[in-house]
Amino acid sequence: MNDGSGTDQGMNMNAADAAAIIADASARARHILRPDHRVTLLVWGLIWFVGDGLMWLAVRGQHPYHGPNPGGYAATVLLTVLVALASVSQARAESGVRGLSVLRRWTFFLSVLIGLGGAFAIEGALVRAGAARPAVGVFEAVAPIAVIGLIYLARFAAEQDWAMAGLGLWLVIAAGAGAYAGPQNVWAVAALAVGPAFLVVSAIEQRLQRA
Amino acid sequence: MSLDELDPVIHTPARLRIMVTLAALRDGDDLSFTGLQDLTELTPGNLITHLRKLEEAGYVATQKNGSGVTARTSVALTDDGRKALENYTTVLRQLLDSASQPRIGS
Repeated sequence: MNDGSGTDQGMNMNAADAAAIIADASARARHILRPDHRVTLLVWGLIWFVGDGLMWLAVRGQHPYHGPNPGGYAATVLLTVLVALASVSQARAESGVRGLSVLRRWTFFLSVLIGLGGAFAIEGALVRAGAARPAVGVFEAVAPIAVIGLIYLARFAAEQDWAMAGLGLWLVIAAGAGAYAGPQNVWAVAALAVGPAFLVVSAIEQRLQRA
Repeated sequence: MSLDELDPVIHTPARLRIMVTLAALRDGDDLSFTGLQDLTELTPGNLITHLRKLEEAGYVATQKNGSGVTARTSVALTDDGRKALENYTTVLRQLLDSASQPRIGS
């Protein structure tokens, strides 16, 4: 686009032209500059649904219950979060945006990593203390859900984001209630309660953006 | 009402596009020069010229970080710039409304 190399020839622009430029530039900028939470939530929902669903398929019918390999499970979860962090950071860097929103995103992912790291450290301590494998299995299934739920609730407290409040509350409830399903079925509860919850919030955000 | 009531600093296609693009940033964020160039589709020379006019009016703030090949110029709307754009869109809306209303006696 060349509109006069710094001259003021745009003074011929009428009101309708100006309104059209505002609409076009605004839509374009928002699309590129504003992070789309809907896609992030959709991806997290699918990852959670498929991941926990596969875990349930792997552990159901185990007698005695020996669950997933704790180290492998922790590494897979942390790696998934790191890959998500890298892809989101790359997308933001390419848009050229810098500042508070980037800092907020980094602190959010850092909180997730620290929270999950802490949960897996506690799991290791439980194993070391001689906790039964089924009890550890319940913990490793629900602890990440509770951690993410609490982080969403903290985000609500900081930003008054009601969609995040609903999601956070639901995740904490799902973690608490799911734990009672036992070491095998807890994975099915997690897949069915957590994955679709992300998809629902994604749909709500889409509706809110259209309104 | 007439077009003369619109802020002449903003009322050019390129500067209006720059202002609207920067207004889409969240509070506390800024945008790289190249990012702004991609979004506005202006040549570097054009963009620099228009940014200079906006900066002189106090509507945008530019900041250069680093030096040499790692230098990065970032641009953000100032509080005055945000207010000026709000005023501009308010006047523009009134102009469009008055133009769409049927005139008495016509």
